[in-house]
Amino acid sequence: MEGAKQKGKPVIGQVQKPFEEILEYLEGREKIVVVGCGGCATIFHTGGEPEVKEMANVLAQHGKQVLAAIAPPLGEFTCYAPWITARLSPYRREITECDAVLVLACGDGLQVVREFVLEKAFGLQKPVCPGTNSMGHMGGGPTLFKEKCMQCGECELGRLASICPLTQCPKGILDGPCGGTTKDSKCEVDPERDCVWVSIYERLKAFGLLDRLTEIREPKDWSEMQRPRQIELCPSIPASERSGYEN
Amino acid sequence: MKTESNLEGVLTAGHFAVTAELGPPKSADADVVRRKARILKGYADAFNVTDGQTAVVRMASWAACLIQKEEGLEPIVQMTCRDRNRIALQMDVLGIAALGVHNILSISGDHMSFGNHPQAKGVYDVDSIQFVKIVKDMRDEKKFQCGEEIDVEPRPFIGAACNPFAAPFDYRPYRLAKKVRAGADFIQTQIVFNVPRFAEFMKRAGDMGLLDDIYVLAGVAPIKSLGAARYMATNVPGMDVPDEYAQRMAAAISGIPRGEKEARRAAWKEEGVDICVEIIQQVREIPGVAGVHIMAIEWESAVPIIAERAGLLPRPAL
Repeated sequence: MEGAKQKGKPVIGQVQKPFEEILEYLEGREKIVVVGCGGCATIFHTGGEPEVKEMANVLAQHGKQVLAAIAPPLGEFTCYAPWITARLSPYRREITECDAVLVLACGDGLQVVREFVLEKAFGLQKPVCPGTNSMGHMGGGPTLFKEKCMQCGECELGRLASICPLTQCPKGILDGPCGGTTKDSKCEVDPERDCVWVSIYERLKAFGLLDRLTEIREPKDWSEMQRPRQIELCPSIPASERSGYEN
Repeated sequence: MKTESNLEGVLTAGHFAVTAELGPPKSADADVVRRKARILKGYADAFNVTDGQTAVVRMASWAACLIQKEEGLEPIVQMTCRDRNRIALQMDVLGIAALGVHNILSISGDHMSFGNHPQAKGVYDVDSIQFVKIVKDMRDEKKFQCGEEIDVEPRPFIGAACNPFAAPFDYRPYRLAKKVRAGADFIQTQIVFNVPRFAEFMKRAGDMGLLDDIYVLAGVAPIKSLGAARYMATNVPGMDVPDEYAQRMAAAISGIPRGEKEARRAAWKEEGVDICVEIIQQVREIPGVAGVHIMAIEWESAVPIIAERAGLLPRPAL
């Protein structure tokens, strides 16, 4: 499979798992439902309509019976519970009958399908298997994506010239550049890449804000990244008025 | 005196200080540390033990420090932020202070990808500058990083590393200023080969008033071979090795047939020690240089020779 060749290249937000690994998860399970994603998995060509179709074909060639192959359209994220619940509801019979669901989406999408849709909305206990390896939040495209933000919960960009060293410096230091910057301002860990702290320095210099680099920063409050994190919108809405799968 | 450190005593008494590096073994063999300690004893005022240098697993710095202390040396424990979060770092600061180690060198640590466990997760909870501040606050404010009070505080002499040669050159004095402000007492620099550039860095640091508050020990190292000179010049990020040194190492073996490996090695070592001694003499003339830090990596036996030839002996007994 095309995606499998990309394994290990960290510029890809999600890559397809090796097909052999997917087959291992599905061993002994004949009736399969494949679910893709109209969001990131479509952008990254891991779970859009063409990939869902191809996966269904390849599974059939390996003797599986694909009861349904569901590809949400572009823009319809599988991780958003109301959308995926609505998308999968017409396939409740196939999902109930299947031996396993294969999700071509990130780990959030898969677990929303498992928890919100199968367990809470449908009341089903089914194996739900991953078809991709998710590698995080990235920006860019259409062919090159870069990790820029680690979602630390306490954004530093306002102080650091709109460049995040926590994500882009391999050591994630807040008082860079370290002593390993090369003569041509590259990173010692990857000499192909510019030292992000030199970029911060240059931008702050251009803005006349170099004094920011003489401040001693307190150690970061990493408790904002304590997992699992959750955000509750509209906490005033009572449980009785929420969708069943949210409770 | 802020601490019981011999190194602090030597520096505050106005002596030109000497520190040297002792590389711990990739094993549990205490005898390796003892042997190196016996070679080095008396030739420097304090001895750094590296902490997982190049991200390779070796005996813990604090443990090798205790072994060399048993041999009568004064240890400098190196502590990287790569492998420990603020909880573990502070626990180790307490532990080594309780065991009578009076010097700490704070460093970020070489990235995991350089070492023998590239799949390891890096910690970097705090960076080397933040860690200097943490240790300073533990010592002088009697407070942990969280603000809680410490009954019996650790009292280490606090060191930090500094690379005057890495890009951007103009920023490096400002980064030194941060280390001074964070509370570092002494600095050990990256190995100096480009002396004029180092002198310019020191001038800028002096102009900023930084050298009144900190002791700078210039890093020096003997070059072992022509290959080592070339490797340091091209493959070690942040190192600045002028061509003349590779040329001198090449010239050192001229006339010695390729087959005579021992003779070539000896000639290289002789030239490497000579260069190191010359650089020590040059940096000693630079205002603000309070001492040298000799890094004879896996070549500890060079330290006594260098110290002798550079006129650094005997070391003051305090």
